[in-house]
Amino acid sequence: MKCLLIASESAEVLFYWTDLEFQQNIQDQYGASQEEGQGLPAFEDSISTLFAPIIISCSTMVDRHSDGYTSFTTENNHIYVLHQFDECLYIAVNGDGEEKEDDLRRKIYVMKKMIEVQFGMVTLSGNLLRRELRPQDTEQRARLWKHLQGLLETYSQLRENDQSFLVEAVERLIHPTLCEQCIEFLERRLVQQLNTSVERAGEEVLHAFILVHTKLLAFYSSRNASTLTTSDLLALIIIAQNMYPSDVDLDDPSPEDVESTSGSGPESFYTPEPSPTERDSSSSASPEPPVRGSTPVFEFVDPDIQMAEDSLHTLEISPPDPSTPRRVFLEVSLREGLYPMMPHSMYCLPLWPGITLVLLTKISTSRVAMSVYTFLEAFDKLEKHLKDGGSPAARGHLTIHDIRSKLDKFIKALGPSDIQFAQLQNVWTEFKNRAFARGGPGFNRDLIPWCKNMKTQLCGIYRQCFFTDSGLANTHRCLSRSLQERAQTMVQEKLMDWKDFLLVKCKRNITMVSYLEDFPGLIHFICVDRSSGQMIAPSLCITERATSELGKGPVAQYIKSKVWSLVSTTRRYLQKGYSTVTLRDGDFFFCYFLWFENETGYKLEAGDIPVLPDDSPPIGMLAWDYYSRKLLRYYSKNRQGEAVKCYELLTVHLGVIPTEIILQHCRQLASKLWEPSRNPLL
Amino acid sequence: MAELMARCSYFFLYDGSKVRGEGDATREGICYFYPEETPLDKQELLCGQLAGVGRCVSELSSSPVRVIRLHHNKFAIRMRDDFLWALGCPVEVSIVRVCELLDQLINLYCFYNGSVRQSYQLSSQEALAARWARYLSHLQSGSSELYHVFSCLRTIDSTNVDPLLLLKAALILQACQRCPLVLAGCILFRGRVVSTQMSPEVTMKVMVHESDTYTKRPNGQNTCSSVGSAVSSTSVFLTLSELQDLQSAPVFSSYSTPHKEAPPKKTRLSRTLSDTPSTESEPSDPCSPQSPQKVSFSPHLSDVFSPVPSHSTPGPSPQSLRSPCPNGKCSHEAEEEESFYHSFHNSDVGSRQKHSSGLDDSSHLNGGDGDAACGTVFADKMVEGDSRVCCGSAVGHGAEMRDAPPPSLSGGFSKVEENPLIPMTLYIHRVKGLVLALLVEPHFLKDTVSMEEVYHSSLASLNGLEAHLRSISPGLQVPPGPYVFAHFDCIQSTLTTNLSGRPGGAPEHPFVRATSLLHSHFCNTETLQEAIIRSAGAAVYGTRSVAQETYFQQHGGSLRNSGIPNHQDSAFSLPSKARHRLLKHGVNLL
Repeated sequence: MKCLLIASESAEVLFYWTDLEFQQNIQDQYGASQEEGQGLPAFEDSISTLFAPIIISCSTMVDRHSDGYTSFTTENNHIYVLHQFDECLYIAVNGDGEEKEDDLRRKIYVMKKMIEVQFGMVTLSGNLLRRELRPQDTEQRARLWKHLQGLLETYSQLRENDQSFLVEAVERLIHPTLCEQCIEFLERRLVQQLNTSVERAGEEVLHAFILVHTKLLAFYSSRNASTLTTSDLLALIIIAQNMYPSDVDLDDPSPEDVESTSGSGPESFYTPEPSPTERDSSSSASPEPPVRGSTPVFEFVDPDIQMAEDSLHTLEISPPDPSTPRRVFLEVSLREGLYPMMPHSMYCLPLWPGITLVLLTKISTSRVAMSVYTFLEAFDKLEKHLKDGGSPAARGHLTIHDIRSKLDKFIKALGPSDIQFAQLQNVWTEFKNRAFARGGPGFNRDLIPWCKNMKTQLCGIYRQCFFTDSGLANTHRCLSRSLQERAQTMVQEKLMDWKDFLLVKCKRNITMVSYLEDFPGLIHFICVDRSSGQMIAPSLCITERATSELGKGPVAQYIKSKVWSLVSTTRRYLQKGYSTVTLRDGDFFFCYFLWFENETGYKLEAGDIPVLPDDSPPIGMLAWDYYSRKLLRYYSKNRQGEAVKCYELLTVHLGVIPTEIILQHCRQLASKLWEPSRNPLL
Repeated sequence: MAELMARCSYFFLYDGSKVRGEGDATREGICYFYPEETPLDKQELLCGQLAGVGRCVSELSSSPVRVIRLHHNKFAIRMRDDFLWALGCPVEVSIVRVCELLDQLINLYCFYNGSVRQSYQLSSQEALAARWARYLSHLQSGSSELYHVFSCLRTIDSTNVDPLLLLKAALILQACQRCPLVLAGCILFRGRVVSTQMSPEVTMKVMVHESDTYTKRPNGQNTCSSVGSAVSSTSVFLTLSELQDLQSAPVFSSYSTPHKEAPPKKTRLSRTLSDTPSTESEPSDPCSPQSPQKVSFSPHLSDVFSPVPSHSTPGPSPQSLRSPCPNGKCSHEAEEEESFYHSFHNSDVGSRQKHSSGLDDSSHLNGGDGDAACGTVFADKMVEGDSRVCCGSAVGHGAEMRDAPPPSLSGGFSKVEENPLIPMTLYIHRVKGLVLALLVEPHFLKDTVSMEEVYHSSLASLNGLEAHLRSISPGLQVPPGPYVFAHFDCIQSTLTTNLSGRPGGAPEHPFVRATSLLHSHFCNTETLQEAIIRSAGAAVYGTRSVAQETYFQQHGGSLRNSGIPNHQDSAFSLPSKARHRLLKHGVNLL
């Protein structure tokens, strides 16, 4: 019984996902309270009505008690986890014992991450995000929600079955020669050819990688590209998996498997296209007749929205085109600074079932996004200063006067043709009048709403530029279909002889057999390099058909469950500041080590690790990079300028092995796995 | 009070039945709110919101809410009928502990006041508020943070006390039990347990009354004029399962039936006590004597401990390795005490069995249809902490009043709700700092003959015991060794530690923090036997068996390490160090 719900502060449902059991449960409850003869109300309405008191109580507590709920547990062990991100309240529920509180919190953070990748800086404006997540048009809404539900399900599936999503690090296919060849191929042949083609329509391929299921065969970044963060890469793998789901339980692609996985997933070519059509936006002006069942209680249009509604009318939904890339928003770090959520186009080209080529391109108008982000940041800072009662100090890298001239130029460059831009211009003029005019109110608290308004307008511009086919991107530039096909064929030719091997190799990337002789009693291990976001672990085959070294079915399943629970246990200890954990549990002995090295491989002394509260963001790399944002930052406080690397090792041994031997094994694994060659012993 | 503030941030009892209509103000439903000085609108906010959200979630999940967490506080919740209890603690306190505290609090209340609904009908809200406050402060008072981690009984420091005295205390209790109206009792000295015949949970409840009367003069309690002002009594309420446990203990039956034997035993008892000066002069090491008599008990003892693997290992007899137990179990005396040993250990077995089968018992009494549910409860026992208390927590006086605390834990458990509370009397005989507390049948107070017999048979012995206990010097503070340890006996709920009381035992102490985490982990994972966890500052080793948990931290030594696996790392030698070091504290980890 599982559910994930996103609601606005006014208890409007912005998104939900439930499994069948939860849906049944809600319908039963609702059915019971309904009078005879009346049909069941729309599911969305039931869920909204049932959760509304919780949502409202949550904002009441925040407003009046300045403390919000983080979780509820019932006596039959149903868990509710709540988290508020700005104006959106996320609620995740589990009633079948399969997920713990930490898992639910992680799910919430992952959902937020996927929404950020999908909507970029629009997520920074509550109003805009609300409208993106809940399009007026019910059909469109259903389509968007179905897509997001698919992503969430794909993630949950991966987290439950894939070790790389368990520890949230990327797993590479271990085949040094082939990997090298492929990288060279991507660099010399593919990316070069694409980037020199006239058909690229102003786009530039920044990153190209080949996935075999969820494992990385080859990854190439062009020289002037910023590094792709692990968090983003993992999110992209989820998106690719969602488009071309691979049945991880199957060992060899037998003919029927090929059929079932060939082609595209049901939602494979969905493009975010959230702008209302003329039809439904005109109907939103006049009260709409109830669509299904009763009128939703909490559905209303916020009168505060100062966006130019008209500007949205002109947009038309273009029919989904298979060659249309997916717009994704990824973090970019340049010399000028860090820019989160910069627009990219993502091309997912299926080579064979289970093998996918992914191209990430920089779109021609991405500079606009950078400017918008700079302004957003500046207004955000200004707002904070004003709230603290300070003046817009010259701190930070941009003074308000810099902003003024830059923004003037920016608006001029955009051109006054569009209503959305006119709206921005009006608000900006008003802002300037208040802030800079002689004898005007100047910089004080009264300016705060105008800062907010400016931010909303900037987000609106951003939305206009990167979400719709009008505005700057009206020609809808992307790599031409024939260019995409050519890329696909090139890589297919390259890998033709390898494809079957790769699919098998992917299932048995590393096997425990190769370790048994050197490490008697070792059952399983996972080693993670947190600096590069990569992990190595023997494959855990748990299907009925496949016999792994762990044996068949139940035994392997049992060990798998032990590994999964070990990871969550050690994360709990890590959260509380413990970086070494050994446990004797039943017939097993578990070890967990986290340590730091400098770039030359010298082991650094274990330092203090931050102790975090229970409701802090989940430890991992997908939704929030704990290791680089919290751990390394904290650790390298006293090591200015020194690059610090962070490693983790988890082992499962038989309990009968003497502890000294187990520790020796761990030491050997730790030193051998990341030898300079980067090739684990095989 | 300051300490109290540090632990419990909020506690309230809310009666939803008083807030039914639209116009009813939330304040009508607030029976008690702590801190009492909280502004009324804040009280209303918390009660209203938590009760509302609790109800909503309960409806969604078809099960009462147990925990509500906020960013700065976590609340344990109990919902029963229209009542809602909430106990809020700062987030640092483990949730197992918060739930345990709330259960204890509710059970305490019911022990002294009977059913909640009825008590609120009989007494004024103000009077009852004072009681809630008292129980709340009692549960949080005293001792170091470590005691709160385990919520254990405070016992006298047995390392300082001649084991003979413990034995004598046990004998006094047994002597009292010769009166058939006496169920069981305990002897307390200055707020600490010297000896008890009752389960840790019941003993804990009895101690509240004792500590109250210890600090202030008894008021409102009946003093029993016939036997002098040192004796008082108060009515209490036992749950059916608690009563059964007390009645089913062999010690009860074997000593209460043969009335004829009483006189000779009495003289023997007094003789033993008059002997004490001579033995006291030669304080005996509790662990060393290996008398032949004791060997003859050994088979029996190993029987007792056989479920515990660590005790069935060959070698020294288990008894000699166990720490001297506060209830005198481990004292070893002359031959004639054999029957005592026998019965006492039997009672121990009995109570242990009770822990596993007590639930079934109670369900039998309720028509026996709760078996399936009880099974799950027992499986959850470790998870939820003090389930024994919860299970026993019983309800209403009769069918019309079923409003006392929830038997709780699993949804299916509600069948046991009808469990009635049985009125009993707590008889207290105080001799300065020493207190004899007996649970007696209510008509004991009217039975002047029995009462005088109990009073007179124990008076001299109590005086003697008091004098001895008083004369014991507080004991030289054992110089803190190069290590810290805590040893928790899960069966008796007692703690042995060398971590001194206040400043060192603060919650921020690395040892206490690690111990608390590991204890929660042990509670949640039944298969976990051993763990070593290391932060930058401290490495702590924890190990547990069915009956005990032990935690150990070595001070000093080089903690400098890289964190990379290394078998020469000092952290991994903790198990052997603990085994070695703790032997002299009577803790056997072999």
